[in-house]
Amino acid sequence: MKGYIGEFEELVLLTIASLQDQAYGISIKESIDARTNRTISLGALHSTISRLEEKRYLKSWLGEPTQERGGRRKRYFEITHEGKVALHHMKALRDDLWKLSKATLSLSK
Amino acid sequence: MKNKDIHPPRLAEKILLWYCGHAVIEDLLGDSQELFYRDLEHMRPWRARMNYWKHILSLLVSYSVERRKKKAAYHYLSSGTFSPAMFKNYLTIAARNLIKHKFFTILNVLGLAIGMSISLLLIAMLSFLWTYDNFHENKDRIYRVITKVDDQRKLREFATAPNVLADKLHNEMTGIDAVVRINKLSGNIVVGASEIPIHGYFVDDNFLEVFSFPLVKGNRSKPFASQNSVLITPKAAAKLFRDADPVGKVIELTGVGPLEISGLLQDIPKNSHMQFEILLPYQKWITLEQNSATVVEGDLWPYRKSYTYLLLPGTSVIDKVEQFLNQIPKSFYTMKENYSVWFELQALMDIAPGPDLNNQIGPDWGYAPLAIFTLLTLLILLPACFNYANISISRALNRMKEIGLRKTMGGQRSQIFTQFITETVIITLIALFFSYYIFVMVRGEFLSMIVGADSLDLSPTLITISCFVLFALLVGFVAGFIPAVYFSKLNPIEALKSKPIGKGIAKLNFRKVLIVFQFALSLGFIMGVVVVLNQYRYSLNYDFGFDQENIIDVELQGVDPQPFKNEFSKLSPIQSLSMSSGIIGTSSGQNTWLKAEAEDSIEVAQMFVDDKYISNMVLELLAGENFIDDPVSKNHVIINEVFLKSLQLPDAAAAINKTYTVDGNKEITIIGVVKDFHYADLQTPIQSFFFRYDPTQFNFANVKVVSDDMSSTLSAMESSWDKVAGGKKFMARFFDDEIKEAYSVYFSMIKICGFLGLLAISISCLGLLGMVVFTVENRMKEVGVRKVMGATAWSITVVLSRDFVKLMIIAAVIAIPIAYVFFEKLYLETQQFYHINIGIVEIAITLFIMLFLGLSTILSQTIRASRVNPVETLRYE
Repeated sequence: MKGYIGEFEELVLLTIASLQDQAYGISIKESIDARTNRTISLGALHSTISRLEEKRYLKSWLGEPTQERGGRRKRYFEITHEGKVALHHMKALRDDLWKLSKATLSLSK
Repeated sequence: MKNKDIHPPRLAEKILLWYCGHAVIEDLLGDSQELFYRDLEHMRPWRARMNYWKHILSLLVSYSVERRKKKAAYHYLSSGTFSPAMFKNYLTIAARNLIKHKFFTILNVLGLAIGMSISLLLIAMLSFLWTYDNFHENKDRIYRVITKVDDQRKLREFATAPNVLADKLHNEMTGIDAVVRINKLSGNIVVGASEIPIHGYFVDDNFLEVFSFPLVKGNRSKPFASQNSVLITPKAAAKLFRDADPVGKVIELTGVGPLEISGLLQDIPKNSHMQFEILLPYQKWITLEQNSATVVEGDLWPYRKSYTYLLLPGTSVIDKVEQFLNQIPKSFYTMKENYSVWFELQALMDIAPGPDLNNQIGPDWGYAPLAIFTLLTLLILLPACFNYANISISRALNRMKEIGLRKTMGGQRSQIFTQFITETVIITLIALFFSYYIFVMVRGEFLSMIVGADSLDLSPTLITISCFVLFALLVGFVAGFIPAVYFSKLNPIEALKSKPIGKGIAKLNFRKVLIVFQFALSLGFIMGVVVVLNQYRYSLNYDFGFDQENIIDVELQGVDPQPFKNEFSKLSPIQSLSMSSGIIGTSSGQNTWLKAEAEDSIEVAQMFVDDKYISNMVLELLAGENFIDDPVSKNHVIINEVFLKSLQLPDAAAAINKTYTVDGNKEITIIGVVKDFHYADLQTPIQSFFFRYDPTQFNFANVKVVSDDMSSTLSAMESSWDKVAGGKKFMARFFDDEIKEAYSVYFSMIKICGFLGLLAISISCLGLLGMVVFTVENRMKEVGVRKVMGATAWSITVVLSRDFVKLMIIAAVIAIPIAYVFFEKLYLETQQFYHINIGIVEIAITLFIMLFLGLSTILSQTIRASRVNPVETLRYE
């Protein structure tokens, strides 16, 4: 299946989308850490981001240098159109399955 | 910010920066640092530092950094993916290069072909050995009981096992599918007046049910109709009956009696560890054994004759069977102290090739000789590979621009690497052709040299051919690896400047080491040939202590000696005639045990001769007297000097009339002492020996002939022979020829050493030639300038050759002591009791051959270069 994205990739993509124009390494990491209650390493995060860039789901640009980063620039990320399509695709797939299994998945007894 | 003066660990940052090189990782470092300061707000500094390290390390191995590095290293258009178009380009470039530099192509192909040829022999051999015994349907379930004996001095392993074990296993052990007992047989089949030697086994009735030897005619489950039935292979049958159907015929086997052929086997495939021509029922062997009742002393429980094979349901019972087997010895053995025996099971597929065991049932394919052969192969192959690497790197200058351009255009390291490996593989594949040709040429010779060649089939099959191709690919990779790495590492800027990289000296040293190693190896092989050749000559001219001229040995073949003597004495050219049981000076004869009173037995070699023998052979009798032509001499012996010493007698006279016991219970009296002579070959020292007199033991007549016309004498002898022999073929040989033949084993050594030496020296010379040609080409301008300045052709030759001659001298200095020690200490002193000493002459000859070949290689190029007109070389300056 073309354009398949993994669980973590989807998480990263959605987080980037939610952060809008403030999505860079640390903000993504902290957002994920806070929501999922786990600590991910920078290496793991950037590996995934690189793969997503390779798949053209993300584009990036360098921001202005800031002092707290030792004068180094931030790299900001943004979802591309392909990325959006892939996310929609995943969502449609899930919705489909959810609809079909509504009865079984119902938590109320 | 309050934590301003706390910094993240510098080292971690430096490592990451160093690792990433040109890649842009500004944002990654920024992220890490930002994280560090955020951590500091709610953590102790050391924790924050730890975290920082953790993140940097995770980045170090992350895909992100890997990708950025790749991106930074190459042009943005470069592609790391493999494309067929590029591959095609490699092939084209390789082909063009090979055609353009014909000389070096030929050099490389030839070198690799020679180096690979012997490897092909090894591969063909191994791939055949691989198929050993794989035709048995039960191959994974058949096991053999092997015996291990430890007498505190030496651990010996036997392929045999006492036959008692088989009975025990059969009767007392459950869970074994079949027990097969096998005993070896070698005897002669009587055909008319002559006898044909034949090898076979006594086997249990279930032999053919366990082993899948195909049967043409007969009953698989009950192959033997009676005790006197026999199965035969078509090959043996053809020897006996030509084309007639053998089934139902009766054959006469010496020592066994008449047997009726009850079935026809197919010929035994060569890849079977059992090789036989006939199969006899095991019951027959038991009957024979009961009748003869010979129990060899010191062998209480004979384990050296019988083999036991088991068919097990699976591997799970192995331990159980071994345990069972090892319980038995305790009840059976009332052995001496320090003597332990135990049994193990050996899987059929581990037999050949397998560990080296004594008393193998068939051809012996131990690991040790295979390992030695593999080592020799590598010693030839690796220098050939290095040669290729050497020549390729030294010609790097010619390829610099190409590689520089490739890299500038976006060629990646892995691509350059692939390109050079492809090129090498093409060369090795071409070399494989020639190599295969050499292989086919030497195959027959090789088979004739090794023992057990009958059980080896080296004709190529689909598997061996594909192994050859795979091997060529592998060699291509090994040989091409160093140059490929070297070229792919080139920096494009330097490459385009055509400047060789600064590591020249290190590389040069490697090449020098290579040439030194190759010549040292060649020198070793040449020395081997020289030493063995000298040892052979030495053996032939050795003073054995007896006369070997003008003596013809006639094989008696069971003809009665007395009428033979009468008939032959009539011939006038025959001066004297004697009888003997063996031929002295060729091999160690039969041994027996002699017992003196209250002393340990002494092992002594013996030979049966008649009264004329000592004078006929011109042996010197030191004391006592000779045998007389009378049965009373049967109790007399004539001993040699060494025997005298081992009996601890003061002098020869004291030995006369002493009495001892031999053969268990026979009384003998010493009547004479002869001067020491070499009764056996020169590999074994002279030890205790005596002559005995017994006309029934005579096998040879030793005829001393003085004649001008040898051929008419021989035909006269033949006609005399016909009168007494009753149709048997006249078999006579000159004594000195027989001695020569006994040393023909040296010829195999010479051939092997010579062949390997030839390969090694050709490879070294080819490598040297490549280096010399390259150096000379690069120094042509220098030669031109030197000539213009007035240098003579001779001085230029010296200048150009000097460096290479130095290398050869270093090789000689290193190799001579090693080769000396190897041949003197390890070969001559352990294998040859009476041997030459390697002296100046042997070393000088070896050195001369090596220097001659090496120098002719060098001079062939340098002399030509020194004669070139300077105008030719300096024209373009």
